[in-house]
Amino acid sequence: MRKYLPAVSVIIIFSLTFLGVSCTPEACFEETNAFVKASFYSEEKQVTPDSITLYGLGHETTKIYDRARNVKPALFPINAASDNSVFIIRINGVTDTITFRYSSYPHLISRECGYTFYHIIETPVFTRHIIENIIVNNRNITTVNEENIRIFY
Amino acid sequence: MRKTYVSSISFLILLSSGILSAQDTIQFPLKVRAGFDAVGPGIYITDKNNLNIEGFVSKDRNEKMAYVLEGGYSNYKFSQYNFDYLSSGVFARVGVDFNLLKPEVSMGKYWAGIGLRYGLSIYKAETPFYKHENYWGDAASSIPSSGRIGHFLEVAPGVKTELFKNFSMGWTVRLRFLVSGGGGKDLRPIYFPGFGSGGNMVNAGIGYYLTWNIPFKTIRVIKKIELPEETDEEESEVSQQGYR
Repeated sequence: MRKYLPAVSVIIIFSLTFLGVSCTPEACFEETNAFVKASFYSEEKQVTPDSITLYGLGHETTKIYDRARNVKPALFPINAASDNSVFIIRINGVTDTITFRYSSYPHLISRECGYTFYHIIETPVFTRHIIENIIVNNRNITTVNEENIRIFY
Repeated sequence: MRKTYVSSISFLILLSSGILSAQDTIQFPLKVRAGFDAVGPGIYITDKNNLNIEGFVSKDRNEKMAYVLEGGYSNYKFSQYNFDYLSSGVFARVGVDFNLLKPEVSMGKYWAGIGLRYGLSIYKAETPFYKHENYWGDAASSIPSSGRIGHFLEVAPGVKTELFKNFSMGWTVRLRFLVSGGGGKDLRPIYFPGFGSGGNMVNAGIGYYLTWNIPFKTIRVIKKIELPEETDEEESEVSQQGYR
């Protein structure tokens, strides 16, 4: 039996160390926003626009991107208090609107960060001034860094 | 005369067997135990949001192993700037304790060993308020109370010693491994009874137990006589002699 005592000692020391660590309050370092992540395509190739301006309808003064370059991917924040979010997007100086309809559900990130909302989007509705098409790759909008839609222009 | 001779021999045989048993075996008391954890109520005195009451019963199978059943109740509240969380319910753990001390050291009074447990938690969890802030502003909601079941495994090393007759005290460190917390992948419990933080796959805890012991049976345990280990020097000496 004596041969097991070193192993038990190791477990006790490990447990006490773990107990000390787990009792230490931590800060939130995780991603807390579930964005629609969009890539831009032109003539079937991934091409980042020269300039992008993006903002939510009714939020003209607080732009998400303002004539930004090399945006890859573009992140569309979803309004969890509503079942749709409307965005004004200006690609290379030409303006379109994109409307996302979705359902939302809560997701626990961690005790430190609290909850966020995940969404399941329907096929977006958009105007076609510069945008030719939008394809949905992944309807589940989460904090995971995966492409959700492709915008063809 | 013949009678006296026979009874004298019988007495000598009995005496010699008695001497032999005193050398090679010990009388080991098997016990049933009941106890409770003092750490949970102690924490509650300083933190009224976290009540954890638990106790156990155990029964010795033999001098090395005991069957253990633990049970308890937990009521947990947590609040921070973006959510409130409540959980309450009962839990049970079932398993075995192994005493790593030699029987002649332990004598049913001392325990230093390791416990293995399977834990089941039946509880209710509720998030009365949470909010999420992003570009569009705040979105607030709540998650109603729902019944859940959690499962976990536990490794519990520790020590206990008998301070007074049939009364022991000791502590146990608990290393818990999450099997399932209930709530699915989106609504993992922030805390659930018996396990602790449901956001972690591994949790640690500590308990200080006050235990009442009741001996129910005494068994005779054979002492293992350890032969002195042969050293390399002795071995080489022997081999050299053999060579000569």
